[in-house]
Amino acid sequence: MKPMSCEHESSVIRALHSGEWSSELRLHAAECPDCNQALQLAEALGEAARRAEAGFQAPDAHWIWQRSRVRAREIAVRRMTRLLAAMRALAAVYVAAAALWLLRGSAALQYREVASSMHGTSAGFALMGAMVAAVCVVAGLWPILRDSSEAS
Amino acid sequence: MEDARMIAAWIAPGREQTAAGEEGFRRLYEATSRPLWGYLQHASGRPDVADDLLQETYCKFLLRETPAMDEAESRSYLFRIATNLLHNRFRSRDDDAREEPAECGTQTDEDARLDVRAAMRHLKPRERELLWLAYVEGMSHAEIATATGLGAMSIRILLYRARQKASEFLRPQRIKS
Repeated sequence: MKPMSCEHESSVIRALHSGEWSSELRLHAAECPDCNQALQLAEALGEAARRAEAGFQAPDAHWIWQRSRVRAREIAVRRMTRLLAAMRALAAVYVAAAALWLLRGSAALQYREVASSMHGTSAGFALMGAMVAAVCVVAGLWPILRDSSEAS
Repeated sequence: MEDARMIAAWIAPGREQTAAGEEGFRRLYEATSRPLWGYLQHASGRPDVADDLLQETYCKFLLRETPAMDEAESRSYLFRIATNLLHNRFRSRDDDAREEPAECGTQTDEDARLDVRAAMRHLKPRERELLWLAYVEGMSHAEIATATGLGAMSIRILLYRARQKASEFLRPQRIKS
């Protein structure tokens, strides 16, 4: 069998904090060894808390507020730096791929044939590719534009 | 009532960097910093650790990205952050973070203070936390579960054991005095 405390213990502790005792609860606390023990411990700890807190000097709230703002900015900068590094890496890959295509593929490409054969699904793919490229450009520009507008 | 309104205004979305936001925080801070420091000091056993963790707790609280909370939820959340920070501290500095506090207070309180301090020295940090939250903060078992991350069903039995243990160490000294 597991050891369990009296079911009225929480009510007794609540009454101790609020000072609102019903006569039944007061009687129960006096007779129940479990609640009596809890009550004594709560009083001893409460006294220890009052003594410890008497010597407490709270740091200035404004200072903590400012510190959190600085920390928030640092976190934002770290996030943005990571994003920019990823964008830079993507850009490098893109440039390398584009350069390769320009050097090897474009010379052999028959533009008129490609344009005449683009209809239906292939036209849709081309449009989607253009949209993805546009989204990437906007996503790359957005943090830079936001930073510059905040700075001004 | 005014405090509650200010805190609610601060907690609402869009509080960032506004004067009202800072004022709401100041009121919440004034209402909670003392008991929170007491908890940290008691559970860690060191006032200097409590000072550090108190500031860290509020910084983390201000940086949170959670839905709006009322004052009671904010308080509970602060205790949860503080408890997590305590556990991180215990894990990273296992040797020196659990010592008992340095002396503070007046000589007339010496007996009573030593009584509680001696009893607490024998308890594990988790047991100190549970006793403090239940008997000093007057939290319900559900609130303690939220603050400590323990299962609500296990709080009752853990608290019972911690109380038995603390009372064992308190009793002989009380009889002696």
